[in-house]
Amino acid sequence: MKLRRKRRGPISMPVASMGDIAFLLIIFFMVCSNFAKEANIRYKSPSAQDVAAVREAGLSVVVDDQGQIYLNGRALDSAATLEGMLTSMLRDKTDAVQRNVLFKCDLNVARKVFEPALDAIVSAGGVVVAVGERRRKE
Amino acid sequence: MPFSLRKRQRESRVPIDSFSDIAFLLIIFFILTTSIRRLTGFNTELPAGDKSATPTTEKTPTVGLQVDRVLFNDSPVSLEELKTQLLARKFASRPPGDRVVLLDAGAEVVYQVYFEVMSIITAADGVVGILSEEEGK
Repeated sequence: MKLRRKRRGPISMPVASMGDIAFLLIIFFMVCSNFAKEANIRYKSPSAQDVAAVREAGLSVVVDDQGQIYLNGRALDSAATLEGMLTSMLRDKTDAVQRNVLFKCDLNVARKVFEPALDAIVSAGGVVVAVGERRRKE
Repeated sequence: MPFSLRKRQRESRVPIDSFSDIAFLLIIFFILTTSIRRLTGFNTELPAGDKSATPTTEKTPTVGLQVDRVLFNDSPVSLEELKTQLLARKFASRPPGDRVVLLDAGAEVVYQVYFEVMSIITAADGVVGILSEEEGK
């Protein structure tokens, strides 16, 4: 008796749902991510033990290692300009949370350099949220 | 010659073969550009308005910051001692006007020290009042 060889069909991976999964992942990343506007600004964050998680805010002020002030990633010429811009941006914000302004400053910058920026935020009606890293207890 | 009136309709298909490739390229982009790190810090209650209007009574605790040391009511303290002394004042149970801790920092004090002291005052439910010299003095 002659035995017939079984014909094997081509092996294929089920890839029909790959695209759906990929798009779900994209939606997840789009919803969860914030684009780093300040990636090109050079500053080292300070650290302290008494810090907690803070929420992202729409406004962010950075003072870099050279003392340059930035608002939402845009370099400004002085603290007075910062105050003017923040005042107009915060004019319609009535909720306290909406008035939060993230303040990020290089740890080696002297008070005479960063304090005008802090004053400008407060004078414009913003609530300063100082951003830094948590330091573990020794 | 017989003509068929019916046109054969071709099956229309949107080409979706490269969709998943594009999707995975986008995913790789998002993975590379997303930072998972959570922001940490603290909200500071810095009173707005005229600096001269800051209530400065004899009882108002004052933290002095100098380049090499920290003073609490003119006595040198470590940051741990400062924290203990501020917590002992139980600011949480006081009205806002009575929770002010004045921060008198020298011009050359760096932000690291300033940040640590502000975080300690805020953790003790104090309101930071910034003392600054008038211009020209």
